[in-house]
Amino acid sequence: MKAPATGQAAPPRDTPLRPEREDVRVAALAALAVALHVLEAALPSPVPGMKPGLANVVTLLVLVRFGWRPAAWVTALRVLVSGLVLGTFLSPTFLLSAGGAAAALAALALAARCPGRGFSPLGLGLVAAMAHMGGQLLVAWALFVPHPAVALLAAPLMTAAAAFGTLSGIIAWRILAQEEATEQA
Amino acid sequence: MRLRPTPADLLAFAAAAALLAALHLHAWGGGGPVVTARVETPAGTRLLPLDRPGTYRVRGALGESVLEVRDGAVRFVDSPCRSKICVRSGWARGAGELVACLPNGIVVTLTGPGGEYDAINF
Repeated sequence: MKAPATGQAAPPRDTPLRPEREDVRVAALAALAVALHVLEAALPSPVPGMKPGLANVVTLLVLVRFGWRPAAWVTALRVLVSGLVLGTFLSPTFLLSAGGAAAALAALALAARCPGRGFSPLGLGLVAAMAHMGGQLLVAWALFVPHPAVALLAAPLMTAAAAFGTLSGIIAWRILAQEEATEQA
Repeated sequence: MRLRPTPADLLAFAAAAALLAALHLHAWGGGGPVVTARVETPAGTRLLPLDRPGTYRVRGALGESVLEVRDGAVRFVDSPCRSKICVRSGWARGAGELVACLPNGIVVTLTGPGGEYDAINF
């Protein structure tokens, strides 16, 4: 934008759609989450539905640093764009992904309101991962396979979710600790 | 930032452990699959779980049929039909098996996990 010729700032004739700082931040973090999501989709998985969910680390980081709203934006964008990139948009895979993400965000919204010292990244990671898997299983049961066997699948999948959720929490905590150290230096 | 779990964290981990324990108990324990007999009569359908032994009287089109449940299987003990094909067909125990007394309008189908087929269409 050119500086106005006169000393006084002229009022803008139109209001161009300019991204604010937070928009740029959300976009950058969402891009990072999409990269992790797509990278992970390339990894082979021993059991369908079992994956590390490293993209959720980004959600955790944004939640702790910037709050729930940006975290929800980053997650929604991640699910949408990853669906488009992987070609699963509006397919069952996408619906499972979206259902899981919505459940995880709902759980994180509750967890973020926890009184007292609240949750550390560790607890947030666990809660988000369990809610994510729970939401996915519910979507799978409600939309695709209304069979009691889904409950049997829940045991190994929820166990994996607990393990990977804790791992995500540890990764998020280490990144936050490093950022803090860098900021203090 | 030191990694010190907060009380809320510990609570979440305890809840997760309890949930996982319950899920695994449900998945691996619990006395095997239960086959259920689906008894269709002219008056309607009722379900008989085969883990509950006993003798059941079922009203059909001609009269009363007697079903016996024992050792995870079901059979016709008696039926007011002439041919008694239902009684002679003996015990049905696996999911997907079927015994019927057609004159009396009673069809007993076994449903449950682990059958050889999901459904049969005649």
